[in-house]
Formats: sequence, structure tokens, C-alpha cells
Amino acid sequence: MDKDNANPTILNTSQLPTRQNRKNGSALNGPFTNSSALVHKLGYTSSPPWEISESDGTDSDAEGDMELIDEQDIYDLISNISDPEHPLSLGQLAVVNLPDIDITPSPLVAADPNTLTQVLVKITPTITHCSLATVIGLGVRVRLEKVLPPNYRVDVMIKEGTHSQDDQVNKQLADKERVAAALENDTLRGVLDKMLEKCA
Amino acid sequence: MPSSPMTKLVPLPVFKPDLYERAWQSIPHPTLPLLATAHQKSVTVFSLSTLSSHSSLTNGHERSVRSTTWKPNLPPHKLCLVTGSFDSTAGLWRWDDQDTGGGGALEVEIKDEKDEKDWELIVVLDGHDSEIKCVSFSPGGQYLATCSRDKSVWIWEDVGANESDDEWETVAVLNEHDGDVKAVAWCPETNRSGRGRYSNDVLASASYDNTVRIWREDGDGEWVCVAVLEGHDGTVWGLQWEPRPQGQGFPRLMTWSADQSVRIWSLQEEEEMEEAAPQHAWGGLSGVPSTMRRSPKEDWVCAAILPKAHTRDVYAATWSADSGMVASTSSDGIIALYREEEEAETNDTADDEAAAELDGDVPMTNGHPKKEPEASRRWKVVSSTPNAHGPYEINHVTWCKRYDQGCPPEKRGIEEMLVSTGDDGIVRPWQVV
Repeated sequence: MDKDNANPTILNTSQLPTRQNRKNGSALNGPFTNSSALVHKLGYTSSPPWEISESDGTDSDAEGDMELIDEQDIYDLISNISDPEHPLSLGQLAVVNLPDIDITPSPLVAADPNTLTQVLVKITPTITHCSLATVIGLGVRVRLEKVLPPNYRVDVMIKEGTHSQDDQVNKQLADKERVAAALENDTLRGVLDKMLEKCA
Repeated sequence: MPSSPMTKLVPLPVFKPDLYERAWQSIPHPTLPLLATAHQKSVTVFSLSTLSSHSSLTNGHERSVRSTTWKPNLPPHKLCLVTGSFDSTAGLWRWDDQDTGGGGALEVEIKDEKDEKDWELIVVLDGHDSEIKCVSFSPGGQYLATCSRDKSVWIWEDVGANESDDEWETVAVLNEHDGDVKAVAWCPETNRSGRGRYSNDVLASASYDNTVRIWREDGDGEWVCVAVLEGHDGTVWGLQWEPRPQGQGFPRLMTWSADQSVRIWSLQEEEEMEEAAPQHAWGGLSGVPSTMRRSPKEDWVCAAILPKAHTRDVYAATWSADSGMVASTSSDGIIALYREEEEAETNDTADDEAAAELDGDVPMTNGHPKKEPEASRRWKVVSSTPNAHGPYEINHVTWCKRYDQGCPPEKRGIEEMLVSTGDDGIVRPWQVV
């Protein structure tokens, strides 16, 4: 099929902000170990939030000395998601950008594990009519909901003025019921699994 | 319900077993001590006496069951549930306490040894193009409404000769919403048969298009939209009719939304129309061309916005027939409890009527700007319980009668409790004290 944007601007991976160790070579290799390390730091497995493990919450590990999750951690979790139509990551395509990630309340404030924490990610589709904006947004939401603790509420929106139907896409991405149903759609699930392949 | 100013929710032991996966909603049986919880591709029926699993409905759907509804008015040994699924079908299930005899025994599969054998999937209602979001039986059990992401509401009628003869026909496909229809609810029976203007069955639907629509049967077998309720600034997640209307008024309608609010709507009834009921009766409209009948004919106004209690989407609310109290819950994990202050009525009635008059002059559907009611002084938040399911989102809350051992025997089947259902797969009863 024809790509919506055949010639996107591509950032060099070495220019991307990251806390991840690059000495092993390409950015595609690095994240494996580092993302798992973050997942370990979170004290959670990579199963989706609705698959509850019996020991959940009572684990002294998860509540005790858990390091705080900041915007860079969020960026590192989603920047290596693959674009659905290019063999490139969302970080390389500048679809996700560190300044467009907000955590409320700020990670500087120590919070107990029941306090709701909102993670707002604004994505920038490569072109204004990109029909895959919803799929990309869904990938970001699914990725974050998989690894973040259950007190995190993930909101994914299109960055203002970067997409012609941003209201419609935002409403879809915010709709829990639609997201749940989309994940039961085998075709879409296949696309998402491929996008998330490079994530831990 | 004690009228102590310090109202709070006390958690009771959770239903067993935990489901360990997202559960969408829990629906109490209209008369029996049973509660049906939809989760993943199945429904677990809990006993309200033992607070543990009674039976389960499995292997009927290829995708998640989002909603379920009990068929009312059946003899106590017969149960009937309808399930609405993301696989775009609705399933009608029956459970019979008495042995069904030879015919049924042949169909028993060896792998389904335990609970499953009691529930049998009898009919699959096929017609929607995409996920079914909600299913609801009319109070008499004659009609079933289903709604879907395909933007339509379907009304099905049981035309079988008797209860064991399941023959369901589509009597209406309502296509007026501009987005997913998230929920449907039938108005309770009102004993207002003397008022010729109204047919007995009234349906309301809530949508992703931010509106609510009211539907009536016109006496000629046609279901028409008689009002569009506009005011919510986000997906309307659900709605419930006032279970026990006060005075002579038509039941009010409560709606809740992604805009984080809960609203109460009321019908503006015109006296002269009541008096002239025969001329204005719905049956009299048969001669009117259907294009004209399609235009909304009722003035519904937003009578109250409940005081703000949530910071994210309101996913569910429930209105008690006994106490008149409302409980709501949300993505924010809070269960809020509200009470309508009766004593304020003398003071506020004049204001409310004036406001209602202003609203009433402007039809709800023509897009004119209209006065928004302020958060109503008559509704007060009496309790707010954060983290009711720990850090998890809560998808549903409902009032329900108590039958458990913790309730004094003389109060069983009378005293009310709340039941909340969450993403953590926990179904938790709460005592209101």
C-alpha cells in the first residue's frame, strides 16, 4: 500500500534523549535490557493491568523503595515503539517527544501507591491527515498501561494543531471501552504487537 | 437509612472468588438474592446470601461480555439472562432448577461437568454490526433493547407463544445517534395509565455523541425519538430512570458522562395537554405522516447537575428506590454518595421553577444557547470514598438488597447496600452507615 508519508524526517538515534545505555551499539539493542530494568524498578511484570497477580500490592518490594517514575522514564518506555508504516521508532520520527510528556502530580512529590498519577503524552503525527494516528496513540496507551502501576492513568492526545481530526482521535483514545474492544480485534492486535515487538 | 450527618461507606467482605481480571458491571436480580457480574467472555452469578459464586455463563461469546440484564417476572425456579458482547451478538440464556429431562441430557458435554450445565445459551440475537455496549429488558419483560458502536438501538420483542417458546423479533432499529450508543434504559412502570398521552414503554439511550435520546412507541408500532437531551460535554456513559418517582411527576432521568458530571433531567409537562389527553394521545398520531412524527415532541430540561465529586470520567451511578440517594463512581476510583435535600424544597422551588421556565421556553434540540443550571443546591455530597478499589478504576456501582449472614435476619431483603465492580476483578459490597 502507499504510505501516508513516504519521506518522513528522521532523527539520528544518538540525538534522542535517553537514560539508556548505548554502548552496546544501536538503539534497537539497548532498550531490551534497560526497559526490563525499568520494569523491574517498577516492581511489576509486563502483564496488562487487568491481569491481576495474587501477590499484587502486598509485595513489600513494590511499595517500599520504589524509585519515582519521571518523564524520561516514560519517554524511554515509548520511544522505541515501531511506527506502523515505517521501519523506524516513534522517537526517531519525533512522534513522541520528551517535552510533550507530563506527569501530574510531579514525580518530585513522593506519592503513596494509591494516589492517582496522570501521565499525559501528546503525540505528533508525521503529517496532519495521518490515518494511523489512532493506531499510534493506541500503541502508546497500551504500552504504558502494560508496565505502569495501576494508580497511573494514561492519557494520550494528539498535539494541538498537528492533526486535522485531533478531537475525534483524542476522544477515541480516551474511551476505555473502545480501547478494550480494539484490543480484542485480531487484526489491530497484530499491528499493535508488531509495533511493540522492540519493547521489552 | 439513618439521617446522621456523618454518612460513610463501610466495606463488607468481597464476593468470592475474586475474578482477577477486569469486571465491567454487576446487575442484581429484580427479586431474587442473585447478582450477575460481566467479566471477560463470561458472566459469574453470585449469591447475595453466601457472597460467593452461584453459577457461571461461559462459552457463549467470542469476545468480552460488556453488559447483562435479568428477564423480569419469571417464576423463582426459572432464571433468564441476556448478555451483550463485543462480538456484536446478544445471547439469551436460561437456567432451570428442575431437570430438563431426556432432551437436555443428550446435549450435556463431558467437559462441562459443574456449574456450566445449568445455564444454557438458547438464542443468539444477531444483527448489530459491531460491539454491543448494553442490553436492557423492559419492566414487563416483553421488550429487550440492545445498543452498539454501530450507532443503533435495536428493540426486540418476545413473540413466543409461552415462556419456553423463545421467538424473538426485531421490532425497531433506531438510527438517530451520531456515535456509539453506550447505554439504554427502560422507564419503570409508572401506574399513570390514566394519562393517555403516554405509552407504557419508554426507552432512553446515551451516546458517544454527547446526547441522550428518549424513545416512545407511537401506538402504531413505530418507535420515535421524542426528545434529544443536550448538555453533557463528553460521552454519556450511562443513564438510569428515577426508580420511585415523587408525587405526580413523570420519572426523572439521571445521566453520567466523560465530562465528569452527573445530571438529572425532567419532563416539562403542560397542563392543557394533560387535560386534552384524548386528542393528543399517541394513538391519534397514526394519521400524521411519519416525517412529521420524527420531530421531537417533549420538552426535557436539565433540572440539576449534581455537585462535582469526580476528576475523571463518571462510569456509573445508581439511584436508590428506597432512600432516593445516588451513588456514583469513576475512573478516579472514588465512590461518591449524594442526597437530595427535601427540606430545601420550600426555598428552592421558586428558583427551580423560574429556571425551569427559562429552560422550558427553549426546546432542547434546536441548538440555541440555553441556560445551564448551576450545581444544584438541593443535591448534596454526603460522602466520598477515595481508592474504593485501591489504585484501580471502578467500572460500576449499584444499589442492591442485603441477604448475607452479616445482616440481621429481619432486615434481609430489605436493607440496602452498594456493590462496586472494578478493573481489579473485585466485586465489593458496601454498607452505608
